[in-house]
Amino acid sequence: MIENFKINSNEIDKINFINKEDKNFRIENLNAFNSTGFPSKKEEDWKFSDTQAIFSKNFKKLNLDNSNSKETDIKLIKDFDHNYVFLVNGKLVNSEFKFEDKSKIKISNYHEEKFSETNSKNPFICLNHALSNNGYYLEIKEGYKFEKVLVIYNLFTKDLSSQILNNKNKIVVGKNSELHTVNYTINRSKNKFINNSYESTILFENSKYKNICIQASKSDGYFHKFSNNKLRSDSNFSSFIFSSGLKFYKQDINIDLEGENSECDIKAALFLDNDEHQEIKTKINHLVPNCKSYQKIKNVLDSEGRGIYQGKIYVKDIAQKTNAYQLSKALLLDDNSEFNSKPELEIYADDVKCSHGSTSGSIDENSIHYLMTRGLTKKEATQLLINGFLNEIISEIKSSTIRKFVENKIELQIHGY
Amino acid sequence: MKNQSINTNEEYKYGFTTDIENIRAPKGLNEKSIKFISEMKKEPKWMLEWRLKAYKRLKNLVEPNWQKPKYPKIDYQNLYYYSAPKSASNKPKSLDEVDPKLIETYKKLGIPLNEQKKLSGVAVDAVFDSVSVATTYKEELTKKGIIFCSISEAIQKHPDLVKKYIGSVIPITDHYFATLNSAVFTDGSFVYIPPNVRCPMELSTYFRINASETGQFERTLIIADKGSYVSYLEGCTAPMRDENQLHAANVELIALDDAEIKYSTVQNWYPGDKDGVGGIYNFVTKRGACRGKNSKISWTQVETGSAITWKYPSCILQGDNSVGEFYSIAITNNHQKADTGTKMIHLGKNTKSKIISKGISAGKADNTYRGLVDISRKAKNSRNYTQCDSLLMGNKCGAHTVPYIKNKNSSSTVEHEATTSKINEEQLYYCNQRGLNQEEAVSLIVNGFCKEVLQQLPMEFAVEAQKLVGISLEGSVG
Repeated sequence: MIENFKINSNEIDKINFINKEDKNFRIENLNAFNSTGFPSKKEEDWKFSDTQAIFSKNFKKLNLDNSNSKETDIKLIKDFDHNYVFLVNGKLVNSEFKFEDKSKIKISNYHEEKFSETNSKNPFICLNHALSNNGYYLEIKEGYKFEKVLVIYNLFTKDLSSQILNNKNKIVVGKNSELHTVNYTINRSKNKFINNSYESTILFENSKYKNICIQASKSDGYFHKFSNNKLRSDSNFSSFIFSSGLKFYKQDINIDLEGENSECDIKAALFLDNDEHQEIKTKINHLVPNCKSYQKIKNVLDSEGRGIYQGKIYVKDIAQKTNAYQLSKALLLDDNSEFNSKPELEIYADDVKCSHGSTSGSIDENSIHYLMTRGLTKKEATQLLINGFLNEIISEIKSSTIRKFVENKIELQIHGY
Repeated sequence: MKNQSINTNEEYKYGFTTDIENIRAPKGLNEKSIKFISEMKKEPKWMLEWRLKAYKRLKNLVEPNWQKPKYPKIDYQNLYYYSAPKSASNKPKSLDEVDPKLIETYKKLGIPLNEQKKLSGVAVDAVFDSVSVATTYKEELTKKGIIFCSISEAIQKHPDLVKKYIGSVIPITDHYFATLNSAVFTDGSFVYIPPNVRCPMELSTYFRINASETGQFERTLIIADKGSYVSYLEGCTAPMRDENQLHAANVELIALDDAEIKYSTVQNWYPGDKDGVGGIYNFVTKRGACRGKNSKISWTQVETGSAITWKYPSCILQGDNSVGEFYSIAITNNHQKADTGTKMIHLGKNTKSKIISKGISAGKADNTYRGLVDISRKAKNSRNYTQCDSLLMGNKCGAHTVPYIKNKNSSSTVEHEATTSKINEEQLYYCNQRGLNQEEAVSLIVNGFCKEVLQQLPMEFAVEAQKLVGISLEGSVG
């Protein structure tokens, strides 16, 4: 049963590259996970995403076997020139940096690098710490700016069924460097499976990192992703999250603004329908003065789509002159859809500008009426308005080729409405 | 403060002699003391059974621990749950015996001398002005059929009404402190407004005879029958003389078809001294049910006192077209902690709610807004608007906003916005330039910040509350 899903410690022995210290850490985390199991809505952080209920409804059993699939054929994106990293079920299989100076880039399997991670109370992170066996490590050396975007193809193979995959990735952007990535997930499995990933990012002084997260098509995946981002002074982190098309996706984003004048922004445009459940949870920690953070989350929810936004801004007492902003907007198209939000502020410094807003409601009837008087059908009018609603986020992508690519993907989804 | 145990018997902070000879229930929380309370109040059997049922339930509950303000563990077995003063002879005999600081505050608030006496617990003569005033009011109310008395009196004289409505909004199966109150409540107010009656005056605990010593477990029940209207004032702008450290009151409001209840609170209990020693723990459960169509419940609160305030006056909007409102000012200074907000639960169609919350934090205080807006699937065309603003003074205090927003309905609209900022230096400078000193300037600006809420208070209350806002922040700037 999933309700009391426990993992046997011999699973750890199956991972062959670990040393003794690592093993102790894994066992500790395994015990932590076993003591709680998948979190339920009784936990404050999981109030709106009851994984225990969701998993036990959708999975009869779960297994930890690695896939033996040899699938490696994918269609590369032709819309724009790019470098790529190719992952199969989270495992690094190939990479190509033909537009870049290869001496400035280091890419390897994650277990070839030392990862020092701290313990967490989040059972998914414990599970990942205990069992992660795949992933990549990417480092951009000091003073190097990427010429072209880097696409991270994440392929999930046909044979996946009831698996839990645990991956761990790390990205290091050196001083004065710049990196722009697109996370592109392709899911071939027609079955349900769980992907639990952990990503840590360090941005050194005056570096920039931009990330866009998008899926190739709809699928039956159940994903959890925790990302831990540390920003040194004058660095800039920007993340775009687009419709996942997954059945369940919880993105837990932690950002520590550690250096002065660092900035981060998170923007999301999601279109969810048919029983899709997606949560974005952010925690932005303003630890030093003069930092900026900006969050804008837009959700469109159709038949039984559930959108959740839990955002927290924490401002430490010394972090004066902080500028933090949080906005979540949702459009509910169907009476079975649902939007829950918890935009939280925790502020201990007085000379700050912090504000948040959250709205949810239906499409403006007057706008629909106006468009219909101009000859559009109701469906066309609705689609146009949804498009406009989400476009506010998409239009902020600077590169025009990538923006077009994203626009097309989103439009395909809306047309299904 | 952390290690100090709570003791109702503790010497009063303002320096009164508090060793009054009392009739007391046996110490401790057990069936015996509950039976004792019920007996002392000459309650009917069903009431006692109800209390015991709550007590039974309480045994299975644990104190909540999710809230931000932490407090030392309360030893419930070391409390007296009933204590009535035998005579007034041990109270301070005149205002000369009262702490001069307290008198000074009264003067600043402009409270008449007789009221000052009553508030500071001075034993008053039988021919006390306000008593006669109260009696005249009471006659007028009786003429209209309004019942306004203490809950103990209501249990005896109007058992049908009490039986029907008590616990219907805050059931005995609610959270720990509410259940504790159900088991051991000692007194409180009861109001019943008959159909189509508009209560001609603001009802206030102050005008209720025998209202002194309402005790730490107060229970208030207000019922507005079809088409009626009532405005109820709780508390007072003046610092209250109070010996109990833990306060767990329950307030239940019920509005039937087309009825309206306006409930205003000004709470200024002892907040502890500058170092955060002592002070009242104010853990109150307030909940209103808009049972009928087109009913309305409006909560207005000005919270300036108590070491820890922890309350969420809520509205359950059951009737179609019902309206819930919440206006709040919470001011915390020194080591005070306030965790307050509201819950708006939309169940009926076309229900509306509005939340305006202003939090002001100074010194080393913590101020949290915590609220829930829940729009259920059936609440078509519902509407909510929430605004919470926080003002910080100094970088040792904290301001937090924790709103929960749930919308399960495509025809409903929910809006929430919140800001946090500090007092604008330019505004302060401008006020100084015009001859106001720093404190007057702060008071003026803060009053402007709170204006939307102060406007909601009944006139005579609003004037006092404005002054109170200034006084509460004394010494926080400069």
